[in-house]
Amino acid sequence: MKIGVLVLEGPYQHQAADSAYHFTKAALARGHEIVGIFLYTDGVNNGNRFIKPPGERNIAQMWDELGAQGIDIVACTACAKFRGFTRDLMVDHVQLSGLGSLAEYMQTADRFVTFGD
Amino acid sequence: MTMRNQVAVLMRKAPYGSVYTAEGFRSIMGVGVFEMDVRVIFIDDGVYALVKGQDPAGLDMKSLGDGFPMLPDFGITKFYVHDHSLAERGLTPDDLVMDVEEVDGNAVARLLAESGTVLPF
Repeated sequence: MKIGVLVLEGPYQHQAADSAYHFTKAALARGHEIVGIFLYTDGVNNGNRFIKPPGERNIAQMWDELGAQGIDIVACTACAKFRGFTRDLMVDHVQLSGLGSLAEYMQTADRFVTFGD
Repeated sequence: MTMRNQVAVLMRKAPYGSVYTAEGFRSIMGVGVFEMDVRVIFIDDGVYALVKGQDPAGLDMKSLGDGFPMLPDFGITKFYVHDHSLAERGLTPDDLVMDVEEVDGNAVARLLAESGTVLPF
């Protein structure tokens, strides 16, 4: 099955980002296809390359590794502007793009799953 | 228009306490231009986004009550408000900034089931 994922929250404050990550991993393990992961609103904070949580899981790195495996991960360009993000502040495998990517994921996915507060 | 092109944008939260309603509004504009058939559903505290006389100037924010009525000019014409959510808050359709279809809970469920995607804000 083709699955699209939307993340509406940043890392650590809520469980949404962790849940989205683990859902994605589990779906891939079951042989499903992830058409893309869209990081929206505070979700763009998931791609911050300077995240360095002492002694805890590094959520940005987790996303980066997933992206390195070929999973399309996109952070909302406008939301990034609102939060002072530029491309060079993001991990390598999270790209900046507009809501067209969100529309594309919705149109190509059999199921579209949102993780938020 | 296939089901995959149908998206229901769900407005659930009060308009100014968090980013969700404003971002929901932006998402309607944003995905609407990509051949998506958008229906907008106001439910729970989301109904406050349509109440007349909103003035968030004290918060240095723009009124969403001015924004939603502009959407039909951009081809977004399907608006629904949950009747029970309105009544619970002592509101009637006359209190709203635009004409929207009043629907009951079953109709909301049907709208969501018929939509390929739901964007919950």
